[in-house]
Amino acid sequence: MLSIHTRTHELENGLTLVLAPDASVPVVAVNLWYGVGSKHERPGRTGFAHLFEHMMFQGSANVAKSEHFERVERAGGSVNATTWFDRTNYFETLPAHEIELALWLESDRMGFFLEALDQATLDNQIQVVQNERRQRYDNQPYGDWDERLQAMVFPPDHPYHHTVIGSMEDIGAATLDDVEDFFRTWYRPNNAVLTLAGDVEPLRGIELVERWFGEIPAGDPPPPPPGIEDPGPVIGATVRDRVHADVPLPRVYVAGRVPSFAHPDFYVADLASSVLADGRASRLYRRLVRDEGLARDVVSFAFPLVHGRTFMLSWITGYPDSDPEALETGLVREMEALESVTAPEVERAIALAETQILRQVERLGSRADLLSMNQLHFGDASRMNHELERLRAVTPQRIRDFARTHLGPDNRAILTYLPEETE
Amino acid sequence: MSDSHSAPHTSPDRSVPPAAGDLRPFHLPAPAATRLDSGLEIRVLPQGRVPLVSGCLVLDSGETAVPGKNAGLAVFTGDALLGGTEVRDGAALSEALEELGTSLSVSAGWDATTLAFTCAAERLESTLELLAEVVLRPAFPQDEVERVRRQRLAAIEQRGKDPGDRADDEADRILFPTDHPYHRPLGGMRETVPELGGDHARGWVAARYRPGGAGLVLVGDLDPAEADDFVAAGFEAWDGGPPERHGLPPVSPPEPRPIVVVHRPGAVQSELRILQPSPPRAHEDHLALQVGNSILGGSFTSRLNLSLREDHGFTYGVHSRFVTRRPGGVFTISTAVGTEVTVDAVGEAMHVFNDFVAKGPTAEEVARARDYLAGIFPLRMETTAQLAARTAEILIYDLPDDEYQSYRERIRGVTPEMVATAVGTHLTPATAPIVLTADADAVVPGLEALGLGTVEVRE
Repeated sequence: MLSIHTRTHELENGLTLVLAPDASVPVVAVNLWYGVGSKHERPGRTGFAHLFEHMMFQGSANVAKSEHFERVERAGGSVNATTWFDRTNYFETLPAHEIELALWLESDRMGFFLEALDQATLDNQIQVVQNERRQRYDNQPYGDWDERLQAMVFPPDHPYHHTVIGSMEDIGAATLDDVEDFFRTWYRPNNAVLTLAGDVEPLRGIELVERWFGEIPAGDPPPPPPGIEDPGPVIGATVRDRVHADVPLPRVYVAGRVPSFAHPDFYVADLASSVLADGRASRLYRRLVRDEGLARDVVSFAFPLVHGRTFMLSWITGYPDSDPEALETGLVREMEALESVTAPEVERAIALAETQILRQVERLGSRADLLSMNQLHFGDASRMNHELERLRAVTPQRIRDFARTHLGPDNRAILTYLPEETE
Repeated sequence: MSDSHSAPHTSPDRSVPPAAGDLRPFHLPAPAATRLDSGLEIRVLPQGRVPLVSGCLVLDSGETAVPGKNAGLAVFTGDALLGGTEVRDGAALSEALEELGTSLSVSAGWDATTLAFTCAAERLESTLELLAEVVLRPAFPQDEVERVRRQRLAAIEQRGKDPGDRADDEADRILFPTDHPYHRPLGGMRETVPELGGDHARGWVAARYRPGGAGLVLVGDLDPAEADDFVAAGFEAWDGGPPERHGLPPVSPPEPRPIVVVHRPGAVQSELRILQPSPPRAHEDHLALQVGNSILGGSFTSRLNLSLREDHGFTYGVHSRFVTRRPGGVFTISTAVGTEVTVDAVGEAMHVFNDFVAKGPTAEEVARARDYLAGIFPLRMETTAQLAARTAEILIYDLPDDEYQSYRERIRGVTPEMVATAVGTHLTPATAPIVLTADADAVVPGLEALGLGTVEVRE
């Protein structure tokens, strides 16, 4: 069992602070999760949570555009942020003696962001994000797979129906009023978790966070995401999307709804995908890559999302001359065959996960991120210490049951990419 | 543990950043260095933060040493290595490793083949037994060899459709003459890979997978004496002197400057590369060039990124870097820009590049870059896997044993004059080839009008 010692402290304004002291290296990870992501976006503004994250680097009352990066780099630290379905995170990893710099920067934008807002930086970041979309989705073989799969797995009134990056049109439609509303609604201390992991003594950490964040006023409790929460346990049918695109090799994706990350059965889905495709002893690799020579590569995973249901997906890539029907048949057959999963397969998947979990907590940055996640989603940072126990609670029988209830033809979104005919 | 705490809130002075506290020492212990009689170099570094051990076995078996007609052989052999041993087939080998929770990767680069793993501390002995079995007794069964060949060929097709990979490969082809290994893609070509088979792989292993010139690094929660015993048990039967090393001829950029557009009809974005040859890893100007690179394009607040991204919105990001290999390297500026702003972005990137090399950095920029590189260093030495990989680089590039212990002091000794001189000596924007994967119809007339050189379109 892991034993990352944690302590939490709640400020009067509702900001939750998680402290995880570790003086083994003179480094501190500062990690701030806001409870807002793409699932909170309203129609016509897909991609906005992510665009907003970019705007958070464009300056605040006392910090100029680019100064955030400049100051942290000068201090010998790293800094970034990511936007996801359920949340947005901001993080700095710095030499421990520079901790207060990160707290100054983060508190300035949490408290005084709107004072620096202007149209020119919004226009600039709309262009930057549109280029990000082009680079990752539009100009990349298979780049739009998640857009296509999510639209099939979740109904239009569920917030996971659309991607985090959003549509080109919606990104371009963002206004300064949108930015201001979004900030006032979501970027409040009572909708955030701040974690300090590393070489910081807890009482000192509390004192510093009180100093820099204590005066920021709380906001109204944040509203729920728009649309429905639970779209039902399965899609209800096999749905398909077939794309002829400028891709080198045929590829088949199969996705379906699975229990949310907040449900104990999520770990069943997680291990089922690991049995399918983690490592070369996995089922898809052994059968489809090694034995049959049908696939070139295989992937399977479940997204850890908390709003009602989440989704699991698997994909296999063929060879230039592969028959796409054979790819689909092979993948579906192996997913269904999880009804015969064996104990050694599950034990291997757990052994691989164990090493992986240790590797995650080894890095202070990812340790802090896991603590913030467990605190924000589950109200308990120390829940992280029991991740392996949750995995070990998954028996082969539970995976067999899961295969019957979740991997059948009533829960399949099948996306096929085919190389365009060339002259 | 949880508590609630209320303190009176006085507003802190936010107008200036808070002063830093006292710098805390960062001590990076040096690994213990020993050598087996066979010539295998051993580096062991105990580090007990988490119950993991990471290992790297580096073999003097890079693609640079592969003759042109077998291009891709080092990569092919590395990929086929996990296809089975004399005592168990590929599936059984994978099971044995994964039961231990160990993922073992084999990757062949230009200078070396590296076998890397991370395992739970108590599984080190079993992991090393399997590592030795894989390296000393590979079998290359026919079905595995054929599968790996197909996978390699499919990977080549895939690179051809990825606009970024396509630009990288075209750039190397333009920069290096046809008889130079760097002219070709690391994984080989459609013409060479189909010819590779089990005999090639076995021959390559006999010639290059030898303890002479090889090194084994272990970092993590281990007992050094015990680790030495495990290594001796697994590798004492291994013999063979160091493989031959051939130098490479110096490379001069082709003149006049080539500007090549790989045509991708309808592309919404252009992949841009500006590149030139650069010094090898062990060159005395290495650190000054790293500082210069940080200022030009190696950090978020670099001149290139602030201009192309934060001022102009041409791109999601632009990066420059020195890829430093044993006999020589490549300096590259890379970015992806919108089709309609491609011409402006090329003009601006060249302007920033020219200006930096002509005028050199400011003292403030050098101070900032030095602080950044020195400060970020402990973050790059955080995990057992990072420490093992960095230590392995010492062996691959024949660096001094105290390379990392002295790094922060040396980087702080880099002056603006040293950066200006190194940049002026090694970077030549006027002749650096420019390569794009782009919609040629949309960008070529504008590129011609920039006056940087004649533009050639390739289909």
